[in-house]
Amino acid sequence: MIEHITHDMNGIAIFGIFSICLFFAFFTGMLLWAARLKKTYLKSMQDLPLDGGEKISNDKLSHE
Amino acid sequence: MSVAAIQPTTAPAIGRAQPQVESFKYDNAIVRAFAIATVVWGVVGMSAGLLAAVQLFFPAANLNLQFITFGRIRPVHTNAVIFAFVGNGMFMGIYYSLQRLCKARMFSDFISWFHFWGWQAIIVSAAITLPLGFTTSKEYAELEWPIKIAIAIVWVAFTVNLIGTILKRRERHMYVAIWFYIATALTVAVLHVTNSMTMPAGWFKSYSMYAGVQDALVQWWYGHNAVAFFLTTPYLGMMYYFLPKAANRPVFSYRLSIIHFWALIFVYIWAGPHHLLYTALPDWAQSLGMVFSLMLIAPSWGGMLNGLLTLRGAWDKVRQDPMLKFMVVAITAYGMATLEGPTLAIKSVNSLSHYTDWTIAHVHTGALGWNGFLTFSVLYWIFPRLYNTKLWSTKLANYHFWIALLGMMFYVVPMYVAGVTEGLMWKQFTPDGFLQYPNFLEIVLQIVPMYRLRAIGGTLYIIGVWFMVYNLYRTCKSGQFVPETEAQAVPFRRQQPVTEHGPHWIHRWLEAKPLLFTTLSVVAILIGGLVEIIPMYVVKENVPTISSVKPYSPLEVMGRDIYIREGCVACHSQMVRPFRSETERYGEYSKAGEFVYDHPFLWGSKRIGPDLHRIGGKYPNAWHYNHLENPRSTSPGSIMPNYPWLLTQKLDVTSLPARIQALRRVGVPYPEGYENGPAQKDLQAQAQKVVADLKAGMVTAETNREIIAVIAYLQRLGTDIKAAPANSAGAPAASSTAMPNNVTRTAAK
Repeated sequence: MIEHITHDMNGIAIFGIFSICLFFAFFTGMLLWAARLKKTYLKSMQDLPLDGGEKISNDKLSHE
Repeated sequence: MSVAAIQPTTAPAIGRAQPQVESFKYDNAIVRAFAIATVVWGVVGMSAGLLAAVQLFFPAANLNLQFITFGRIRPVHTNAVIFAFVGNGMFMGIYYSLQRLCKARMFSDFISWFHFWGWQAIIVSAAITLPLGFTTSKEYAELEWPIKIAIAIVWVAFTVNLIGTILKRRERHMYVAIWFYIATALTVAVLHVTNSMTMPAGWFKSYSMYAGVQDALVQWWYGHNAVAFFLTTPYLGMMYYFLPKAANRPVFSYRLSIIHFWALIFVYIWAGPHHLLYTALPDWAQSLGMVFSLMLIAPSWGGMLNGLLTLRGAWDKVRQDPMLKFMVVAITAYGMATLEGPTLAIKSVNSLSHYTDWTIAHVHTGALGWNGFLTFSVLYWIFPRLYNTKLWSTKLANYHFWIALLGMMFYVVPMYVAGVTEGLMWKQFTPDGFLQYPNFLEIVLQIVPMYRLRAIGGTLYIIGVWFMVYNLYRTCKSGQFVPETEAQAVPFRRQQPVTEHGPHWIHRWLEAKPLLFTTLSVVAILIGGLVEIIPMYVVKENVPTISSVKPYSPLEVMGRDIYIREGCVACHSQMVRPFRSETERYGEYSKAGEFVYDHPFLWGSKRIGPDLHRIGGKYPNAWHYNHLENPRSTSPGSIMPNYPWLLTQKLDVTSLPARIQALRRVGVPYPEGYENGPAQKDLQAQAQKVVADLKAGMVTAETNREIIAVIAYLQRLGTDIKAAPANSAGAPAASSTAMPNNVTRTAAK
């Protein structure tokens, strides 16, 4: 529709710049952090769903 | 029950004291309740969709009953499938997996059952009120204000139960699935509250607090993120739990799942503006929405690949196990839909696809493929375990898989063909510079065969669901329901404390503190949300006043509310985009200032019929009368339903004062006391004019019928800007005697 109406908003462009900066800062930090996680920890987390704590597990039920 | 069930036992002491193991029981009854509700509402919601689909090539399928006409049955379909089928499916998956991941029973049995029955009551009230025409018209948020309040209460109960369970868990770590559940609970609450700001005008009628452009921005911020946080994140959590369980192997990369989570919740909420390309949204916000939409491919595909690669070395199981077959197609559909979504967010692609059936194809790749198949997969997995038996028939489940896949293909492929056909035909010009297909109906008739094929696809899909219903029923009959599963675990507080340092330690510390984790998740979504919300509020102050744009007259208000009640917005947009193909077809492109009194906005998202923003004054009143009575009398071949009840039902003028009052409260500048007399007088005067004009057109009608109000509203649409600034009598049927002629947007702020 009409874009010019919002071009008049004072300082509105800062939102775009702020967004991009925030995004890259967040992701850089997140990737660095994720890359440094220890393998032993990751392994223990991966295995979590496989142990539900049930006394008698029926997880092995096949469909046949 | 939950606390009482914990019976400490002493483990044999060997050397130093061993951690004490506690016994407790998982609640399977609540899981079964949600599972049954998922199946029941799935059948209902999909059947409503099929009924709506059939009406698009056979309008008489509504049996001339207003309650099952397309405009009213479509929201029944969308609400039933999203909130009843997927909603119950999500709760089924969460209640099953959360207990086992936390090694704890749900926080409170009472809250669990309050949640279950509250949610079913909301669904039933939706199934009753929507066919009756009680709707706000805002997509996926149609339910009226008392039901919205009930949703908020039940959702809070669910969130308390979720967080409470996490707090009392025996497992120190929160598996990534739980992160997705937390994000779901909190974000949906924020979205629901923000988009539900309405002013009641009676028990089953309300007006959005926002108007026009602002209402559109809030609605699509909600709409986009409802898809993200209701249809996607909880199901991703379920994928991360049930896929490793079914494949009996850990997820391919836990590191990738962490990145998937944070990237998805952080990016998703920024991408909402892609629903409003070429509208009054700030240009930078449109571009930002487009860029973030494109970036969404990365986390989405990371998640998809993580799911598929979990099956590496286990593809033989996929061949044998129908549950895994459904899961694989679900994850693939997720990948396809999340590649297509960003593609559709590219402005040039969007200019072709928007308002066409391409959107319908896109959402059904997600709904039928991702949500549907994943739900079926989990149902096939859970029922045998709840009944401690085997699935009754793997063969029947395989039939279900193939017929559902075939049904999905028959659904989406014709819709892609229809979407591209519509988009191209709408824009096609002759070498002389005229529209190649100036008659909108000509284009509709081209795609009717695609609508037939789509209905076949939907039928196949539902047949598959019935296979599943029978299979699950026989499975239940062949086993014995296990209401509680006994389990054992070492309590969280007795485990070794975290003492390590470095990023590993930080993460473990963070996820050991669920409330802090929850807060950070909220901050992540709110940052993106605020960056979008602030312009929404700022834009209101920046919509330029068009002095000739006036509030609707009382009769037009009544007509507009009937337009909303009938769900006309499901097929007709009110937004002429700034393309030559649209201005040639419809007239002047839509201006932001024209919608300042539109509570709610009615821009629509799909054009099964033509845009109506410039319909005012285009046809005589008598044409509208005949067209609404039987569209085929004026437009041979039209697929619009008949609206005979509009000719006979009396206009409910007793509700007018409450409507005017509510509209004034949300900012429409009706003078104080206008509703006590003058409004009724104006309504009658305008109705008499319409009736007199109809008589001249050889149509006899009474002034107190609903159709008179609808005609008055349609004739008003888009005419204000044609009027001279000082003259408000631009609308053919408008003749307000007491309406303020000099009100401007300033007064409405």
